[in-house]
Amino acid sequence: MKRNVKLIAALLAMMLILLTGCMGGGKPDSGGSGGGADNGGGGASGRTSASGLDISQRVELQFYMLGDAPVDLPLIESEINKMLLEDLNATVKFNFTTWTDWEQKYRLLLTSGQPVDLIFTAEWTQYQAYAKNGAFLALDDLLPKVAPKLYEFVPQEMWDAVRIDGKIQTVPAIWKEYVTFGNVWREDLRQKYNLPIPDSIENIEAYLEGIKQNEPDMIPLAANALFHTPGYYDFKYEPAGVASYGFPYGLYIPYDDPANVQQFWGSEQHLEDLLRMKSWMDKGYMSRNVLTTQDTAHTMLVTGKSALMMGDNPNRWNSTNQDMKSTHPDWELAYYPYPLKKGYATPVHPIHNGFAIPISSPNPERALAFYELMVTDKRYNWLTQYGIEGTHFRVTEEGYYEGLSDTFKREGMNGWAWRNPEYMLFDESFEAVNEIFHELDQIAKPDIFTGFAEDWTPYQAERAALEQVRQQYLHPLEVGLVDDVEAGLRTFMEKAKEAGLDTIQKSYTEQWLHYLKEAGIQ
Amino acid sequence: MTRRKGFWHEVRKNKIMFLMLLPTLLFFFINSYVPMVGIYFAFTRYNFADGLFGSPFVGFENFRFLWQSGKLMQLTLNTIGYNLAFIVLGHALAIICAILLSEIGAKFFKKLAQSIMFLPYFVSFVLINVIAYNLLNYDTGFINSLLVRWGMEKLDFYSIPWIWVFLIIFFYLWKYLGYYAVIYLAVITGISDEYFEAAKIDGANIFQRIWYITVPMLRPTFIILLLFSLGSIMKGQFELFYQLVGNNGLLFNATDILDTYVYRSIKVTFDIGMATAAGLYQSLFGFVLIMTVNAIIRRVNEDYALF
Amino acid sequence: MKVKDAEYSLLFKILAYVMVTIVTLVCLFPVLLIISGSFTDNESIVRHGFGLIPDKFSLDGYMYVFKYPTAILRAYGVTILTTVVGTALGMFFITMAGFVLQRKDFKYRNQFSFYIYFTTLFGGGLVPWYIMLTRYMKLMDTYTVLIYPGLMTPFLIILMRSFIKSAIPDELVESAKIDGANDFRIYYSIVLRLSMPGIATVGLFLALQYWNDWFMSSLFINDTRKYQLQFYLYNIINTVQFIRDMAISSGVNIGNPPTEAMRMAMSVVVTGPIVFLYPFVQRYFVKGLTIGAVKG
Repeated sequence: MKRNVKLIAALLAMMLILLTGCMGGGKPDSGGSGGGADNGGGGASGRTSASGLDISQRVELQFYMLGDAPVDLPLIESEINKMLLEDLNATVKFNFTTWTDWEQKYRLLLTSGQPVDLIFTAEWTQYQAYAKNGAFLALDDLLPKVAPKLYEFVPQEMWDAVRIDGKIQTVPAIWKEYVTFGNVWREDLRQKYNLPIPDSIENIEAYLEGIKQNEPDMIPLAANALFHTPGYYDFKYEPAGVASYGFPYGLYIPYDDPANVQQFWGSEQHLEDLLRMKSWMDKGYMSRNVLTTQDTAHTMLVTGKSALMMGDNPNRWNSTNQDMKSTHPDWELAYYPYPLKKGYATPVHPIHNGFAIPISSPNPERALAFYELMVTDKRYNWLTQYGIEGTHFRVTEEGYYEGLSDTFKREGMNGWAWRNPEYMLFDESFEAVNEIFHELDQIAKPDIFTGFAEDWTPYQAERAALEQVRQQYLHPLEVGLVDDVEAGLRTFMEKAKEAGLDTIQKSYTEQWLHYLKEAGIQ
Repeated sequence: MTRRKGFWHEVRKNKIMFLMLLPTLLFFFINSYVPMVGIYFAFTRYNFADGLFGSPFVGFENFRFLWQSGKLMQLTLNTIGYNLAFIVLGHALAIICAILLSEIGAKFFKKLAQSIMFLPYFVSFVLINVIAYNLLNYDTGFINSLLVRWGMEKLDFYSIPWIWVFLIIFFYLWKYLGYYAVIYLAVITGISDEYFEAAKIDGANIFQRIWYITVPMLRPTFIILLLFSLGSIMKGQFELFYQLVGNNGLLFNATDILDTYVYRSIKVTFDIGMATAAGLYQSLFGFVLIMTVNAIIRRVNEDYALF
Repeated sequence: MKVKDAEYSLLFKILAYVMVTIVTLVCLFPVLLIISGSFTDNESIVRHGFGLIPDKFSLDGYMYVFKYPTAILRAYGVTILTTVVGTALGMFFITMAGFVLQRKDFKYRNQFSFYIYFTTLFGGGLVPWYIMLTRYMKLMDTYTVLIYPGLMTPFLIILMRSFIKSAIPDELVESAKIDGANDFRIYYSIVLRLSMPGIATVGLFLALQYWNDWFMSSLFINDTRKYQLQFYLYNIINTVQFIRDMAISSGVNIGNPPTEAMRMAMSVVVTGPIVFLYPFVQRYFVKGLTIGAVKG
């Protein structure tokens, strides 16, 4: 045995020496790429682009977006490349991560130092954390030099809103939309049984009860722990953030008084809410297997399994409605936006859709110049958002978008980030959503939460432990599956404290207050 | 180390054999040994500016989350417990099935049964979860519809933790029975008929023939497979647990293993340090276990040992 | 005595048939559910679950899968290519290694076995391996990356070693050597023929590993024309999971999620053919040819 171990040790030592030599800090190879870049052999020397960028060497840009590639992607890619070669002496390869293990892939793309030129960012892809940790290139100097049109096009407040540690690290999308929450319900059923509009907690309960009585086959509320819970809390309270993060680590930060950070978990109100959830479960408003259900809320509504969903945004409500009508034309889904009850609506934060340049990019200037074309040049924008006119879509007389082929649907490349409001085309059915947006515009107020970049490294271990406790002890409470709610809540609080809740809350509150002062919010 | 000098002598003497082994050795060197440097990451706190090897060294900080929640002992016990059940029951059943199959005369039935028994291996755990949900869910589940039809109360499977111990073991066996049975069947097929003929002549009945001939012939294979399973005793079967239990916190105490725990913890961060640290814990555990067991087996019969 | 034996044998045979039938049915039942589910109308699946016979028959699931047949056909092509090449190449290396490692006259066999086995105990994790394959070996988006990492696993090598050990008597190898054959010749003409059941088994497992692989596609393939078959299935399933879990917090709207029926249909299409590999391979599970020359 000893011989074996010595052998292995010798091998490992040899490897280590070999590798520390090779790796040298993990810097990317210069000018090359991991996927077939075409270096050299392009154009005459001394070529410069419209903004004076040196483009004498041809490069291939690697562009990464989340989700699935549209069927006709190769077609679009070649059209784009035809133009791109002329404009910037470059070609681009569009890569999609699919939804399989996308978080892992995203993480690998950035941490492995692979040559990636452009990548999608959003708060739900952990933009703030990655940016704070130095994953992306700071664009402040690059923008005016290489993409002046883009720099002017995006309003200064938006640039400021995406600053992390004072530096601009992503290019935000500027189309103003609202992804605020709302209730979606079966309007046809509501009228049939003469039930109230679910615009208050009492009315919601009355509606659910009505459905339960009259449609015994249905499960009134489309829910799983990740669905209805954020919706309910966002509806009842006025948290500063989007409701799923609105109670970070059980702290309640009211929108109107953000410096007043309150302890929500374990409070009287929390108990009240949990008791109500229990009553909903007992009355049969939710499926008993709500924590493991396979169905999406969308499916439950469309197939008529459920009649109410809490926490959907206007855009999605609209597509769910269209989808449902294709199989059940006599059904109808109506929408009530929560901001109407709260009195204020926060439009989407600029961080919500953005594109960044990782530090491993071998061609940052060209990449940024290309992105400018994607956003500001109508040819590029329309090709990548809608496809080829005449093949994939056409513009109706009223100026609406009409899809012609499934091989490239509207925003088929998931182009949420490079939307340009001046060029956008909408489906006729989108008018309903626009109406809601106009209503919300009247009460619009800025999102003060998403710009906060939390640095969780000091309490990383506690955070991981707390997440476990939350899933094991809080989620069942939140869906009303625990018999003795009070005892359950007490247990949860104990376990949470053991996991280090106090440490986390203290550090988080400090960071939050610091952020408020720096950002000049109240 | 006089043996070392003998190494090159050995190579020259058995040139061809070494050459035959060389591709394998190279393969593992490149594919497994070189990346092992990554173990270092268990001890650093990664940040992008410093890259993989420049990031600051933080000692055992990355391991903290394992014992922070106080669950390490329970997770270890769960993981070992389930794996032992898998190993013991899995192999016992597979051996029995293989023996039974080998004794069946009707060729068509035998082939059909073998193929069908192997089918579950193809079903990915994601689908198993869908099926399980369909069978067990409270509202529309197959089993519950049957119960209702027979006038009984519905059972809420997803809220009863201890049932899942059996369910998980059942699904594991369902998926892997055919797989292991194939291995044992291949070994049985290789046993020379002469042994059985001789035993018959000596008057042994069928149970005796199986016990004294077949079973011992399977022993070496069983031990090898056993050793393999032991090495991964702290890992294993992530998909099975994750898919079946998902985010259902009610079941965690009974069904959480180290892998699922780690997965949930690090899902919300991009830190590779914690994941590597957890992996290291599992590896060390398996390593100590294997070395001990292999040494014991070696003493009993050198041929049976893994190395 | 003879009568007793006949009775026992009969009892045993009955026991065997009964047990095997039960086990077979249990194995079959869920598979039938999947097949039935793939032919069921999606709405009925969501509202009533699925049963052995489709509640409401529908081919919608399959229509979705075959909407863009070229994509599926190409994936079949890729998967068949990687499976055939990978299995052939892999088996070549595995059988050689297995043969060498069980030779008693190979002095360092235990050390090398340990060297191979050790890799299952310790690993550096995903990141270094990923870096090596993408940045140093530049294997992103290649067929090589789909074949190369799966060529050998310690489990299969050690398994092969056991099979060969029990199928090939040492005396046979010795007498062949006396006759003047070198190791490779022995391997080629004797070992390969005598260890058929073992080779069939390991070959089957290796082929399955390649057929079921989706992981390599997920990490290393961006070109949709090189996707493996299983990856299509996983993508559909994961799209639904994404919508289910992240829809609210991400606010993202990606339109209609694929339905249950589609997922079932996709699994049938993706798994279908390989199920027939096992019966095909069964014919190789013949008893090894006993060499009369060894006796005595």
